[in-house]
Amino acid sequence: MSADEDPIRSDDCAANAAPYVLGALGEAEYDAFRTHLETCAICREEVAALQLVADALPAVAPPLSAPEELKRRVMAEVRSEAGWQRSRAPATSSPRARRRWLAPSIAAAAAAVALAVIAIGGGGTSVRVIHAQVLAPHASASLRLTGGHAELDIAGMPQTPVNRVYEVWVKRGSSAQPTDALFTITSAGRATVGVPGSVAGAEAVLVTSEPLGGSRVPTRAPVIIANLS
Amino acid sequence: MRECGRLRAAPVIQSPTALVRMGTMFKHLRSNDAGDPKERLHVLADEELMHLVYRGDATAFEVVYDRHADAAFSLAYRMCAQRPLAEDVVQEAFLSLWRSRARYDRQRGSVRTWVLGIVHNRAIDALRRRSTRDRGLVHDEGIAERLVAPERTDAEFARREEAREIRDALEQLPDEQSRVIELAYFGGMTQTQIASMLDTPLGTIKGRMRLGLAKMRMTLGDPAEVVR
Repeated sequence: MSADEDPIRSDDCAANAAPYVLGALGEAEYDAFRTHLETCAICREEVAALQLVADALPAVAPPLSAPEELKRRVMAEVRSEAGWQRSRAPATSSPRARRRWLAPSIAAAAAAVALAVIAIGGGGTSVRVIHAQVLAPHASASLRLTGGHAELDIAGMPQTPVNRVYEVWVKRGSSAQPTDALFTITSAGRATVGVPGSVAGAEAVLVTSEPLGGSRVPTRAPVIIANLS
Repeated sequence: MRECGRLRAAPVIQSPTALVRMGTMFKHLRSNDAGDPKERLHVLADEELMHLVYRGDATAFEVVYDRHADAAFSLAYRMCAQRPLAEDVVQEAFLSLWRSRARYDRQRGSVRTWVLGIVHNRAIDALRRRSTRDRGLVHDEGIAERLVAPERTDAEFARREEAREIRDALEQLPDEQSRVIELAYFGGMTQTQIASMLDTPLGTIKGRMRLGLAKMRMTLGDPAEVVR
């Protein structure tokens, strides 16, 4: 990058280092400063020095004990994902079994899908936001697509029953392919979940409620359907 | 949403060669060997545990959680001032840590620093999602008393002493410098919001932040030595 292209002028050099390590830059300032850091050794040195102090600041917080229930929630999710990943093997379900699940549920749901696609930005990588159909009352979900990658943003969603988790699936043709994405909902009803791998060529991203550890074949009808076509 | 460790230096994905090398180094640490896995894991350093976590070892992750959850919750609660929000922040942070475990690079700092960096970023996201109107209206008064962590070990006692040094260094700053640092780091406010709130030029706010942090560094010597 030439000096002319750097949005941070030389007389401002390093002025943003302190706000940067404190997390006090806005989104645009943050992006500009990160770009600037790639080419400015002075700012990198300043950031490294101040970062040491910023890293010490959490010690100022009064010491509290994390609630036990919080650990149970976190570890249930972690063990669920770890067990699922360990037991994960190439899909063994028959295409017929998958079709049996998909045919009625997806076909029926597809007719009711409320789909809105918004294209954001131009020039660089385009971003699409797809508003998905959610079966839970008052809940909403959107799928943000950047290139071939997708991220689900969910709000107002009920928590899964004990011993169940939500699982993300990618629908290609007549089959729903499992992903590594198992998740639970926060107490505020929110979740943000990256869809592993590429969704290029997929027809839809689905979410179902599955037993802990996830499933290789969906056991329930989807509660979220984001139609990509 | 801010990425994990976004305020740190850019996360580094370990190279396959480095991981193979680490796999050889820590081959003897498999938690499913004979004996009580969790007991044996408790003697391992965080960095050794992270190698097991990288391979998907949930028990190793639980030990990491046990070591750092109190500090994570303390920071989240200090920032959010609401127990449900603080719990959500910590839950999101640890699950993010679990899912992005391949990004941990010991060369860039301790596991504790990495964990708290993620918690800080998640809390900032949570605070900035809330409207200005909602801020500060609902505090869980009394929770601090109910959840105060006891000093159970020598290590915890030492950590409290170190924390006192850092708190003293912050309190020794001129008020205008400590205030902007607290508003930024614990309040999750941007420098522009702080300048507006204090009706002070943005350049002055930047300068106070820099001076305050630089003085703290001088007071503490090398803070990396204080916070291990």
